[in-house]
Amino acid sequence: MRIACPFCGERENGEFTYLGDASPKRPNFAADSGESPERVEDAFYDYVYLRDNVAGFMREYWYHGGGCRSWLIAERNTVTHEFRSVIAAPGVGAANPVQAGE
Amino acid sequence: MSGYTGSEPLGRTAALEGSTPSARSQAASASQSHRLRSGGLIDRQQPLQFSFDGKVMSGFAGDTLASALVANGVKLVARSFKYHRPRGIITAGSEEPSALVEMRSGARKEPNTRATTQELYDGLVAQSQNRWPSLRRDFMSINQLAAPIFVAGFYYKTFMWPAKFWEKVYEPLIRRAAGLGKSAELPDPDHYDKAWAHCDVLVVGGGAAGLSAALAAGRAGSRVILVEEDVRVGGRLLSDGGEIDGMHAEEWVRRATGELASLPNVRVMVRTALFGVYDGGVYTALERVNDHVPVPAPHQVRQRLWRIVAKRSVVTAGAIERPIVFPGNDRPGVMMASAVRTYVNRFAAMPGKRVALFTNNDDGWRTVEAIQQAGGDIAAVIDPRGKVPAEYQALADLSDLRVLSGGVSDVKGGVDGVRGVIVTDGNGRKQQIDADCLAVSGGWNPNVGLSCFHRGKPVWRDDIAAFIPGDAPRGMVMAGAARGEFSLGACLRDGHAAGAAAAAECGASGNAGEASEAGDETYAISPLWQVKAKGKAFVDFQHDVTASDVTLAQREGFESVEHLKRYTTLGMATDQGKTSNITGLAIMADATGRTIPQTGTTIYRPPYAPVAIGALAGHHRDENFHAWRLTPSHHWAAARGAVFVDTGLWKRAQWYPQPGENDWLESVTREVLAVRNGVGFCDVSTLGKVDVRGADAGTFLDRVYINAFSSLGVGKARYGLMLREDGIVMDDGTTSRIAEDHYFLTTTTAKAGPVMAHLEFCRQVLWPELDVQLSSASDQWAQFSIAGPNTRKLLQELVDPSEDMSNEGFPFMGAREVKLRGGVTARLFRISFSGEIAFEISVPARYGAAMAQNLMIAGRDLGVTPYGTEALGVMRIEKGHVAGPELNGTTTADDLGLGKMMSKKKDFIGRVMAGREALTAPDRQVVVGIKPIDVKRRLRSGAHVVPKGAIPGPQTDQGYVTSVCYSPMLEQWIGLGLVERGRERFGEIVRIHDPLRSEDYEAEICNPVFYDPEGARQRG
Amino acid sequence: MVDYLWNTQSPLQKALVPGCHGATGAHPGVTLREVRDIVLVQVMARRGKAAETAKAAKKLFGVEAPATPKAVIGKTATLVWSGPDQFTVIAPRTDEASQLAAMAQAFTGSASLSDQSDGRCLIRVSGARARDAIAKFSSLDLHDSVFPVGTAANTSVDHTAVNFWREANGTDGHPVYNMLVFTSFSDSLWHTIVDSSLEYGVEASSAKAA
Repeated sequence: MRIACPFCGERENGEFTYLGDASPKRPNFAADSGESPERVEDAFYDYVYLRDNVAGFMREYWYHGGGCRSWLIAERNTVTHEFRSVIAAPGVGAANPVQAGE
Repeated sequence: MSGYTGSEPLGRTAALEGSTPSARSQAASASQSHRLRSGGLIDRQQPLQFSFDGKVMSGFAGDTLASALVANGVKLVARSFKYHRPRGIITAGSEEPSALVEMRSGARKEPNTRATTQELYDGLVAQSQNRWPSLRRDFMSINQLAAPIFVAGFYYKTFMWPAKFWEKVYEPLIRRAAGLGKSAELPDPDHYDKAWAHCDVLVVGGGAAGLSAALAAGRAGSRVILVEEDVRVGGRLLSDGGEIDGMHAEEWVRRATGELASLPNVRVMVRTALFGVYDGGVYTALERVNDHVPVPAPHQVRQRLWRIVAKRSVVTAGAIERPIVFPGNDRPGVMMASAVRTYVNRFAAMPGKRVALFTNNDDGWRTVEAIQQAGGDIAAVIDPRGKVPAEYQALADLSDLRVLSGGVSDVKGGVDGVRGVIVTDGNGRKQQIDADCLAVSGGWNPNVGLSCFHRGKPVWRDDIAAFIPGDAPRGMVMAGAARGEFSLGACLRDGHAAGAAAAAECGASGNAGEASEAGDETYAISPLWQVKAKGKAFVDFQHDVTASDVTLAQREGFESVEHLKRYTTLGMATDQGKTSNITGLAIMADATGRTIPQTGTTIYRPPYAPVAIGALAGHHRDENFHAWRLTPSHHWAAARGAVFVDTGLWKRAQWYPQPGENDWLESVTREVLAVRNGVGFCDVSTLGKVDVRGADAGTFLDRVYINAFSSLGVGKARYGLMLREDGIVMDDGTTSRIAEDHYFLTTTTAKAGPVMAHLEFCRQVLWPELDVQLSSASDQWAQFSIAGPNTRKLLQELVDPSEDMSNEGFPFMGAREVKLRGGVTARLFRISFSGEIAFEISVPARYGAAMAQNLMIAGRDLGVTPYGTEALGVMRIEKGHVAGPELNGTTTADDLGLGKMMSKKKDFIGRVMAGREALTAPDRQVVVGIKPIDVKRRLRSGAHVVPKGAIPGPQTDQGYVTSVCYSPMLEQWIGLGLVERGRERFGEIVRIHDPLRSEDYEAEICNPVFYDPEGARQRG
Repeated sequence: MVDYLWNTQSPLQKALVPGCHGATGAHPGVTLREVRDIVLVQVMARRGKAAETAKAAKKLFGVEAPATPKAVIGKTATLVWSGPDQFTVIAPRTDEASQLAAMAQAFTGSASLSDQSDGRCLIRVSGARARDAIAKFSSLDLHDSVFPVGTAANTSVDHTAVNFWREANGTDGHPVYNMLVFTSFSDSLWHTIVDSSLEYGVEASSAKAA
C-alpha cells in the first residue's frame, strides 16, 4: 500500500502507523466548570470507544512516524484501500496559529 | 569440469577431462539419444554434464533440466504424491505439476524444484523425490493397491480416531508415505536479498504481447520494467515461431530485445517471476539470480526479491494449456502438446519417436508439423471433433495422416512410459495405437491469476471455453493471450495498445510507434474436459486428485468450489492448480448439472509461484534478523566481558561476570551489594528522551501527565505518569525543567517510540493552539545512573570543584548542568531508581565511552562497580518501583499505588475515563510485595495467587506474581504482584500456585517497598 | 589530581573497517564514508513563526531555508528539510560553542532548537552502484527524474527514521547521497549498507566534515 504524504509525497505504508477514525473529537472538559460528571463521562466514553464500522470511505488518522512525523488525516476506502485524499492534522508544522477545538 | 561440487559420483567425468571441446561435444551428443541433430536455442559448443539419481548424462547450454532429460530419453522422473505412480514431465514451464526434483545436496538441498524451469549447468545434481529405495522400484507404490482408502477426504475419514493418534502415529506415517521432497535441515549457506524498483509501466511477461507493450511504452518515453520468468524473452515465439513484420519470429525477438536494450528508460529483467500484486501498485517478483550455477560467486546472492512500485502494469502472462482427464493421463510420456513443441523446437529434444496427438482444438494441430519437421512420426491425431481443421487439411492429405474421432480412454505403459494409446470412438469401439508419447491439448486457459489477487472474478467466454480476466486491480490491464487474444497478430496489437495507453496515462508524450504485424490464425475449440472410462484419470497431478475424487466430493455434498478444493486438496499443491483448477471445476459443473461459470472459481491469492523463505527474509536473518541499537558505552562494556541482553532493539549489558563467579546470580548479587554498600553505575542511555520546547510546554505537559509540570521550578526534576485516554497507565518517567520554555522528558526504554507518537498526536491533533515543539533526543545523550552511598564522593572527584554537590547545593530531585573536570559539561539529575542516593548524568553521546572510563577512574578508591540491567531490576524490585511487568496495559495509577498523583485541578489525558466505576473498584488487583514463607523457595513470575486453603481455579484466582528477584538485602527471593485488594492484606499468607512448573507454596503479601521504606537513603 | 580525558568515540568505532570489501574489481561500485565532527541542529519554527524563522535563517546562512523536501547549501552550513516548518542545520564542527550560540541568538523568539550533533551519524554513499545498493534497503525512488541533486527525504530504513539528501555528483560523475541515521542504530545500519554493497565492491572510510 502506498500513502501520499502531503509533505513527503507517495511513500510505502511501512513508514506510517494507523490510529483509526478521525471523526471523534476529544470533548472539552474544564475541571471546575461544574458540568455533571455523568455527562462528561458519557462524552468521553463516546470519544474513546464508540466507532462506526464503515464499509467505504472513512476519515482516519495516520502518523508518518517513519518520515516527517506528521499526523495526517486520510480518506480511505476500507473495502478497496483506495485513498481519496490525505491532509495534515491542524497542528502540523507551525505556519498557522490554530484555535483550540478546530 | 570445473564448478562441480555435488556429492554424487560422476562416473564418466574423469574420462572426459582433458578432451577437446569438440570431442566433448561429440561425446555429449552420443549420450543424448533423443536430441535432434540441428536446431533449437541451445549451444552445442557448450556441453554440460549433470546427474539425475546418480546417473550421469549430458546436455547443452540453453537446456533446462527437463529438456536435457528429454534429450537423454528419460521419461520417468518422479513418483506421485499419494499413490507413488510413476510420473514424467508434463509441461515445459512454471506450471509444471509433476516433474519436481530435489536439487543440489547438503545444506544447499532444495526440494520441489520444477525440472522445467531449472536451467541446466555443468555439474548439476538432481534427485527424484518421494520414492524408496529407487525411482524405478518404489516400495510405496503398493499405495496404489490401497487406493480406495486414499480417496477424497481420506485424511478426515481414515485417521479420525483415536484423536491422540494423530500427532504421534498418523501424521508421521502419512508424511513418510506421501509427500514431496525433503528440505535440507541445515542453515542455508547462500545469501538472499531484497530490493525496490520503481517504474511507470510494469510489463509482466516477455512474450509477443509483452515485448510489444514494452516497446510501445518505452518508445513513448515512460519508465518501463519488463519482467520475464524465463531466462530469455520471447515466450511462445521461442517454441512456435511464426512470422512478424515479414521476418521470422526469432529475428523479430532479437530486434525487439535490441531496441529495448537501447532505450535507457527500459529495464528488462529475465529470470524474474512476478508473484504478488498489492495495494497501490506494489508488485513482488522473485529474481533467480544464481539458481543456474552450482554456487553463487562470492558476494553474489542466490535469489533476490523485488518489490516493484509501478503506476501502471500491463500483464501479458500468456495462457496455460490444459490437460484432458482420461484414464492413464499421468503415464510418463503423456505431455501437453505445447510442451512437446517446446522440447522439439526450442530445445531440439524429441519427447518421443512416435507421437500420438489428442486435441480438441486447432492449436493442438500445430504439433503435427513440429513433429514431422523434426523427423518424428505422428502415430495418429485423435480429435473428438471428428474432422481435420481446414487450415491443416493440406498437411493431413500430404502426409496421409491417421485422424481418429473419439477420445483416448486409456494409456498403456509403465515406468518406461507410454507404449500405446487406446482410442474409443463414439460407438464405443476401441482400438490401440502404438506410440511412445501422447501430446494432449484440451485448449488454453488465459493466465488470469494476477488479475484476481484483489478478489477480481474471472469471466467465462464460451467461444474459447475459458475464463478471461474480470476486474483487474487498479492500474493493471491484461493484454494478449492472458485476456484470451490468442492469435499472434492480436497479441502484438493488444500488447502495443496496452503499452501505449499505460505510458500515456503516466504522462509520457513520445511516439509509441506502430504495432508489429502478424497473421491472425484461427482458434476453434470444442470443449472436452474428460473422457469417462474405467481407470484412474487425474485432474491434479501433483496432489493425485482424480476425476472420481471430484465426483465423490460432489456426492458427499462438497459442491462449492472452495469446499471441493479443501476436501480433495485439488489445486492446493505447490503448483496451485495451474493445470488442474479449471478442469476440476468443469467436472464438478458436469456432476452438478451447472454451467462452469455458475460453478465459479476459487479465490486466487499470492504467491503465484513458490517463493523460498530465504528470499522473503533477505538480509534479515540470523544476527541481522532485526536492526539493533547500541548504547554509547557498548564497546566499553563488551571489552569488560559484559553479557548482553536484547531489550527491544537495544543490546544492554545484563551483568559483568568476574573471574571465579559461577553463575549470573553471583555476579548480580555482587553488583547489587556493591551499589548498596558503596557505589556503582549503569548505562541508562536507552531511556527515551524528548526535548519539549515552546512557550506552552508546561501547559502541554500538564495535559499529558496526571500530575502538574507547569509548577515545576527550573532546575528541578519530577516523576511523571501518563495515562491513555481510557484511563490505563501508558508510561512513566522523570521530566526536568531545563529552562522556562524547555523541558527534558524521559520515557521507559520500551515505550520511547509510542510515547513520542502520542505526544505528537497531542500536539498536532488535540491541541494545535499550543506553542510546543518536540524532538527526540534519545540518541544525543549518553546517560548513566550512578548510585550508592558513595555516589557523592565519586562525583566530587569528577565534577569541577566549583560545583556545589552538597545535599543543600544539589538536593533530591535537583537537575542542572555541571562542569566536569577535563572541560566537558554534563546534565546532572538527582533521581533514584535504586533507592540509594543516586544521580543520573548525561553527556553528549560521543563522550559515552569516556564517561564510563572516567567513572571507573573517579571511583577507583571507592570500589566503583559497573552494573547491568539485572542488578538494576533487583534494586527496583527491592524498592517496589513499578516497571514494564506492572505497566502492563491493564493497570491504573491507583493499582500501582500512584493514585494520589492524579491532579484534581486540571484535565489530563485519561482523567475522566480513569474515574469509571470498574477502574476505581475496591477489589481491583493492585501492586503488592510477595515473600515466600520458606526463605529458600525461589519465587517465579507468572505464578497465581489464591487464598490460603482455596482450590486454585478461575473462581479463586486473585492475581499473579509480576516481577521477581533474589534480594541480596533480604537474602531471599522476593517479588511484586498484582493482587486483589492487596493493600488491605499486608501480612496475609496466600497460596502461590504455579501449574506450569508444578509448584505450590505459601507466601506473605507485604508492602512492595521491601528496602528502606522511609526513603531516607536516597535523600541523604 | 587525576587528569580526566574526554576522548570522543564514533558510533561506527567497531563497524567501520576502512578499506575495500566485497567483490574486487578495478573500481569499487560503492564508496561509503562516515562524515565525522559535525554540528547538527534541528530548527523548529514556533507556533505562527514560520515566516520569522525563514527570515532568521536567511540572515544567518544567506539562503532560503527549505520549505519542501530539499537540501540547500548556505554560507556556513547545509540546511536540510526535516518536516513541515522545520529543518536541520549541518555544519563542520569548528568552534562548537560559538556555532551553537550564534544559532541560538539568531532564532531567539522564532524557533526552538535541538542540538542533535551526537544524536545522528552522517554516512555518505556514492559511486557507480550506490543507487543499486541503496535500493536494497530504501524504498525511495532515486531516479534522476524524481530525486535530482538537492532533493531530500525523510524515510525509514530497517524500520528506523533516516534523512536522505542528494548532493552534487562526485568528480567521477556518480551520484552522492547523504544519510543521517540515529546514532544508536548506526552500527546496525552500517552493516545493512555494507551488506547491500558487497556484490558491487565497497570502499569504506571516515573523514572529518569539511
